[in-house]
Amino acid sequence: MARVNNWQLGREMSYWYPEARPQKQFAAVFDTNKCIACQTCTLACKTTWTSGKGQEYMLWNNVETKPYGFYPLAWDLNLLDMLGGQNWDESGELPVYTGSTIFESAPAGERVLGWRPAEEDYAYANVGEDDCAGQVDGGTSLENSHDMAWFYYMARICNHCTYPACLASCPRGSIYKRPEDGIVLVDQGRCRGYQECVRGCPYKKVFYNAMTGTSEKCIACFPKMELGIQPQCFVNCIGKIRMAGYLNTPENAREDNPLDYLIHIKKVALPLFPQFGLEPNVYYIPPVHVPTSFTGQMFGPGVAKAIETYRSAATDADLAGLLGLFGSSERVMTRWRRIGETITGLDDDGNVLVSVPLREPVHIRPAFDPVQQVTRMNCT
Amino acid sequence: MKHQVLIKMLTAAIALVLSANCGHTVVTTPEVHAIAADRITLDPDDAIWENAPTHIAKLIPQDLVEPRQMEPTTAEVRVKAIMKDGQIAFRMEWSDDSQNDAPGPRKPVDAAAVQLPAVIQANAPAPQMGEQGMTVEIAYWRADWQASVNGRPDGIQALHPNASVDHHPYEAKPLENNEEARRRAELRYAPAKALGNVRSGPREAAFEDLIAEGPGTLTPAPARHTSGIGKWSDTGWVVVFVRPIPNGFSATRPTQVAFAVWEGTHGEAGSRKMRTGWINLLAK
Repeated sequence: MARVNNWQLGREMSYWYPEARPQKQFAAVFDTNKCIACQTCTLACKTTWTSGKGQEYMLWNNVETKPYGFYPLAWDLNLLDMLGGQNWDESGELPVYTGSTIFESAPAGERVLGWRPAEEDYAYANVGEDDCAGQVDGGTSLENSHDMAWFYYMARICNHCTYPACLASCPRGSIYKRPEDGIVLVDQGRCRGYQECVRGCPYKKVFYNAMTGTSEKCIACFPKMELGIQPQCFVNCIGKIRMAGYLNTPENAREDNPLDYLIHIKKVALPLFPQFGLEPNVYYIPPVHVPTSFTGQMFGPGVAKAIETYRSAATDADLAGLLGLFGSSERVMTRWRRIGETITGLDDDGNVLVSVPLREPVHIRPAFDPVQQVTRMNCT
Repeated sequence: MKHQVLIKMLTAAIALVLSANCGHTVVTTPEVHAIAADRITLDPDDAIWENAPTHIAKLIPQDLVEPRQMEPTTAEVRVKAIMKDGQIAFRMEWSDDSQNDAPGPRKPVDAAAVQLPAVIQANAPAPQMGEQGMTVEIAYWRADWQASVNGRPDGIQALHPNASVDHHPYEAKPLENNEEARRRAELRYAPAKALGNVRSGPREAAFEDLIAEGPGTLTPAPARHTSGIGKWSDTGWVVVFVRPIPNGFSATRPTQVAFAVWEGTHGEAGSRKMRTGWINLLAK
């Protein structure tokens, strides 16, 4: 194995191949606080990419209710259990992961520490995960205490990791990471369906297709990204929780890159299970209402600070303004700026793609319309 | 001393009984003997196989490249071979108490392969799928492909009879009378098939011909030339592979052959397999 730098861990780690970062890295920020689990993203992806034979059970994009929702079943719990202690040393300026990654924990004869879900583990996406307790019959009431008064929605796609476990797992090199944008793809002409990638991906975002005999995964809608348009699950998100773009490494972070700003400068968006060691590139603004004892395991040691920063958006015009750009344009906004009360998204050439106000103007309409001679109810 | 003689006699008697099979004595050979036959058959149950000696090939776990086969599973494969008119047929038989021919997540299927050096030469390629510049030819059979060839329909309901599918876009009404448009629409959701990956269903043959120059280099051969039939019984699988005789192979010019078996129940696929090393293949 080679030694590579994983900035999310604050240290070097072992990986199957030497470090080879792409020219630019596809990345995204999801704001969990805005997701309402409407599943529009899931359907947008499903109808676009996975409506074929053998793809019936596949959800390249899924939304699950945490803590009890999983797709596939226990995708995260199983590996967390296998991985053992996952501690961070937070005594220095930046936290350092002192546990083992899935590459460093690979058992003898294996390329990574992994497991393969069974068919039935995919069969019940979203079923029962929002139920707070058992069935309540008519006329009765809940008597047991329900002290866990929180949940949140997790939208998940492939993380297009810097160190993909699917790629490391494939014994015949059928998975590649595009040097031009870091998108991770399964070569459908070369894949022989061994399912090693399904076993290796800790996020379980590679799926075996029994009809094509190959494994398939999220492609970050690369035909759209190549045209500067965000993927289907982003542009169809009615909660406007998502922003796609390109992320630099921390030392090369640019203030005018929306993702760099949120991830590296404000540190308000965090990677999903960084301790697995893949340097995943979908970043989450953690839910503000969930105990950090839970989200700390999921998003790493920066959770409390991220929530504090997120809560400060009310008095932080830059942060609030940039969050207002989410879902404001189909286009990939690789740059942004705020001038006064106006926030603008731009492309690499400096062309303005969209401008939004920092605060939506408030219009108060009189209840009585003198033109139509009617009284209307105002509601929002 | 008397006891030892008695034990030897008993052992010989037991071996004779064990080697009796339906009235025919099983003749085993230390190499694979390909005997000249009157005809070639695809059928594993053809009586012609009774004339061929058996080579019992011990299988070992593939433990040279990751991911490795860490635990031994299928112990051995019983091999026979016959030749006729430029074709050679291998009959592989192995014990398996479960028929894994329905693919799916965490459901690898049973499979087997026969490997030969592409060129007969004194220094054989590395037995583990050859090496750079020293190609091996591999004939590969899979249980799910056999099920397709035997008539299992191509679709999720064939694997899961109670599965409900809302809609496949290429089955939409507007495409009903336009087969070309329907086919194009179907390929949009089957990229492997669109790229011509021979793994994609529905299969027309249960076999695939491949070449390799070392682990991880497996590539489809320019043309498919292996045919045969795989049959399941309660005791396991019997698969006949029929392919062209290796170029130059004769009674005075032997070559090597190797075998591999994948047992679906144990999650075997790809490099997780039980295999042999090279075994001498003699023309008789």
